Amino acid sequence: MAYSEKLLDHYNNPQNVGSLDKKQKNVGTGLVGAPACGDVMKLQIEVNDEGTIDKACFKTFGCGSAIASSSLVTELIKGKTLEDAQKIKNTDIAKELSLPPVKIHCSVLAEDAIKAAITDYQNKQSENNE
Amino acid sequence: MSENKQHIEKLTAKLYDSLTKQVPDIYLNGDKQHRIYGNLNLSFAYIEGESMIMAIKDLAVSSGSACTSASLEPSYVLKALGVDEELAHTSIRFGIGKFTTEEEIDFAIKTILNSIEKLRSLSPLWEMAQEGIDLKSIQWETH
Repeated sequence: MAYSEKLLDHYNNPQNVGSLDKKQKNVGTGLVGAPACGDVMKLQIEVNDEGTIDKACFKTFGCGSAIASSSLVTELIKGKTLEDAQKIKNTDIAKELSLPPVKIHCSVLAEDAIKAAITDYQNKQSENNE
Repeated sequence: MSENKQHIEKLTAKLYDSLTKQVPDIYLNGDKQHRIYGNLNLSFAYIEGESMIMAIKDLAVSSGSACTSASLEPSYVLKALGVDEELAHTSIRFGIGKFTTEEEIDFAIKTILNSIEKLRSLSPLWEMAQEGIDLKSIQWETH
């Protein structure tokens, strides 16, 4: 598999690996994929009072492309508002990493992870307001 | 021929024993006795195969089984052997032959152990397993 330098860099030096406290009110956790598919991404965001993503971290079970895609995503969403983070498309990720066609689904999963994390965060806000 | 066999069996055993004694959740695919000597097909739970291959890039190995080494699909051979679907994507095939040296095996052991540590620290499945979560009980969100 011929991977781009950017992809290899993210694989060899993944950014923001780790976990946030999922019980915290301002943390949203997205868990997407399945072990049987060979791809599972956990993306977590910590959102401040202004609605901006202060922190983002990930853990991934998957190939080099999956790890690189999720590492890149944490860099892309940090500092963005939830609205702007929602706009990130898998094509942005695939282009940045020059993903080979057979690995495009990794960028799709990464986009899903962003949406899942935001949805989880938003659900927690509305739960707390009931 | 029998010298080759002894040499290969010794190195294969060394690789297998060293890895399984130092790290948990490594599984041998196929029967331990009734297999071609020099073939070690191992599942490294919680670590996906391709990411492992990239991590041990100085070693020539393949994921799945020989027949599916060029494809991304999990191996139908492993499936027929009864390998759990959770482990299907975590398998690596090591081949040891008469030209393999003990130094190379020692190097391989070191490389593989470092990679396991690195990739499990990256793995949400490893994290969940450490927390005592039964991965089979989870409703995974898939496409």
